[in-house]
Amino acid sequence: MQILAVTAMNLRSIPQRLGNSLVIVIGIAGVVAVLISVLAMSLGFRATLKGDARADRAIVLSRDATTEYQSSLSRENVAAVMNTAGIKHDARDRPIVSAEVILVAPVARKRDQSDVNITLRGVGEQYFVMRPELKLVSGRMFRSGNQELLVGAAAGGQFAGLAIGNSVRLQDGDWTVVGTFAGGNGSRESELIADSQTVMSAYKLEAFNSMAVLLDTESSFTTLKEALAADPTVMVDVRTEPEYLASASSSVNRMLRIVAYAIGSIMALGALFGALNSMHSAVAARTVEIATLRAIGFSSSAVAAAILIEALLLALMGAGIGVVMAYAAFNGTTISTLGGALWDSQLVYSLSITPSLVVIAILLACALGLLGGLFPAIRAARANVAEALHET
Amino acid sequence: MKFLPLVWAGLWRRPARSIITGLCIVIAFLLLGLLQGVNAGFAKSIADAHRDLLVTSTRVRGGGQMPISAMAIIHSIPGVKEVAPRAYFMGSYRDPAAKNMVAAIATQPELFFRLRPVFSVAREKLDAMRNTRAGLLATPALLEQFGWKVGDTVTLRSQALKTDGTRVWTFSIVGTFDTIKEPTRAAFGIINYAYLDEYRVENRGNAEMFYERIADPTKAVATAAAIDRIFANSSHETRTRSDQERAEFQAKQMGDVQFFTNAIMGAVLFTLAFLTGNTLRQSLHERIPEFAVLKAVGYADAGVLGLAFGEALLLFIPAAAVGLALAYLFAPLAKEDIGAIVVSPSVATAGLLCAGFLALIGAALPAFRISRMSVAASLGKR
Repeated sequence: MQILAVTAMNLRSIPQRLGNSLVIVIGIAGVVAVLISVLAMSLGFRATLKGDARADRAIVLSRDATTEYQSSLSRENVAAVMNTAGIKHDARDRPIVSAEVILVAPVARKRDQSDVNITLRGVGEQYFVMRPELKLVSGRMFRSGNQELLVGAAAGGQFAGLAIGNSVRLQDGDWTVVGTFAGGNGSRESELIADSQTVMSAYKLEAFNSMAVLLDTESSFTTLKEALAADPTVMVDVRTEPEYLASASSSVNRMLRIVAYAIGSIMALGALFGALNSMHSAVAARTVEIATLRAIGFSSSAVAAAILIEALLLALMGAGIGVVMAYAAFNGTTISTLGGALWDSQLVYSLSITPSLVVIAILLACALGLLGGLFPAIRAARANVAEALHET
Repeated sequence: MKFLPLVWAGLWRRPARSIITGLCIVIAFLLLGLLQGVNAGFAKSIADAHRDLLVTSTRVRGGGQMPISAMAIIHSIPGVKEVAPRAYFMGSYRDPAAKNMVAAIATQPELFFRLRPVFSVAREKLDAMRNTRAGLLATPALLEQFGWKVGDTVTLRSQALKTDGTRVWTFSIVGTFDTIKEPTRAAFGIINYAYLDEYRVENRGNAEMFYERIADPTKAVATAAAIDRIFANSSHETRTRSDQERAEFQAKQMGDVQFFTNAIMGAVLFTLAFLTGNTLRQSLHERIPEFAVLKAVGYADAGVLGLAFGEALLLFIPAAAVGLALAYLFAPLAKEDIGAIVVSPSVATAGLLCAGFLALIGAALPAFRISRMSVAASLGKR
């Protein structure tokens, strides 16, 4: 009861020391806005990287290769893998697989016209059967033998010159964009795709990079893995798609995470000092008030608790403003960085301020508010009433 | 100078507040130094690039390679002083695991080292390379990776088929060379192009890249265009760029991260300006009567103003310097994951100027109020 009374009194006096209270609010708003923006970047990247993962798909690479671009699969290998047990077959009893080659296509980023590379993937004819989440959204499929491309929706949004009818300069002249595909929330939307045979003959390639297969069921993975291990003629490794994607592109991922947490924690420390400072002066300015309260019988714990609650409320208000600021500035913003299927191709992803980020922000703000209020609260509780009253 | 003790005393009137504010500034400038250092790191790699060096590579990556015979044609273009070819060799030592892969650049070593200043090698190693056809120059990191020594003969297994029908390539290590970029991690070798090309079956007589040195850097664009014209309308069209353009290109690959660091820096500075500005305002406000006393005993308005600004600067500049020094110390830790962060003198200067600016802005409002306030009214506030 005492706590409530003192808190209410404190809150009512906030307008008289607005500047000071605003320090906590704005300091914490700044930290929260920055922290969730960088976290949204790091999480958005990771989510997009893993967005395609389905446990009933598997990726075959040559032995000891850890990424698609290190891997090389001969046509014989691809044929052998196709006939292995565990792979799902379509209505016409053909195994659902896609042997793929990856290359890069140079494009210009719309935002600043800078030259970047994106992934060009030569895919098999069952690509869309194996990835039902991807849908052709405009235009038509490419025709085998013609130098035609389909553009992922994310790539089309981020880079210039990828509209239907545009042509992209690749090996053997211009390749025409004939359609757009979308879906899956993953890295595939950042890519260009074309018929693998056409790509391989244009680039004079003999080998594929990787092969994706659709499994009968999730548990068929073991069947496939054992069958491939038992065949001495194919030197390949197979892993489930989630497993493969979890290991891919870890360096950019790591960088973004380090940046997010380093910046976040340094800023949090700064805001902690800010909160400490302003609660400190809030208490100092009211030495007499607090002493008076104590003199008329309010307990020191009630006074301390009221100060803590005030700090907490101000911090929460800051968190709210920070979340709104970050949301307004960055939610849904689409950006691109390194992280595509090749070491130097771009991954397009969007920043989303998710509920879990908001929870993190609120928890952080509470921690900062409590820590910032703690020492001033203790000081207020311990102050000698008689001495403090003398300060008038 | 004689006012320093007075300013100093003002600062330590409430030590806890000054220390906490100081720490706040330290933190902000640590962050500023690191983020600005990332940008400076990119800028440095661009500025360090040589404008008189051109690189010709296939326009479409993965496209057809250029015939080595084109070297002579490139060399005959006016303004081109030297040309070196480059091909790529990959092999594995012992068993073919990814960790056992050895990469080597096949080139004409003597020209190559002149055209690629990021690598350096001793004169006698180059002579040894010329005398040993199957010679290999290795970075110290490569020797360390496999426990090799100079003088060893090593056998590598490659995808590249040899004319004798095997895929086994033998090299003798004639020496080491150094690289400026990531000297501890760059593990690769340099071999003679002539040796590789004599024995390989695929891509014979081809090069993946040409390096050129030109006489006049201002004619880089025209020379590059002249080189690209040689290969126009062939199955191996090229794109020639200066070293500097390539460095810019690489910096841009990081993508929108830079846009982001700038946005964060703005947020940090704004928050800091607000936090500290408020503290200054408070601290000066509390002492209005004291300043009034100073004015009453004959201090000029400007003198009082100077005291207020001096106090702000004394709080900001040393704290900012500490923050930037910390950034300088922490920068190497991030090298592995983030890349070069260069807390250069210019980053430090910009940081300190920024600190001074923030101090003056923060102190301006309360200071002017004090200097214009009537002495009687201020003294009355006691």
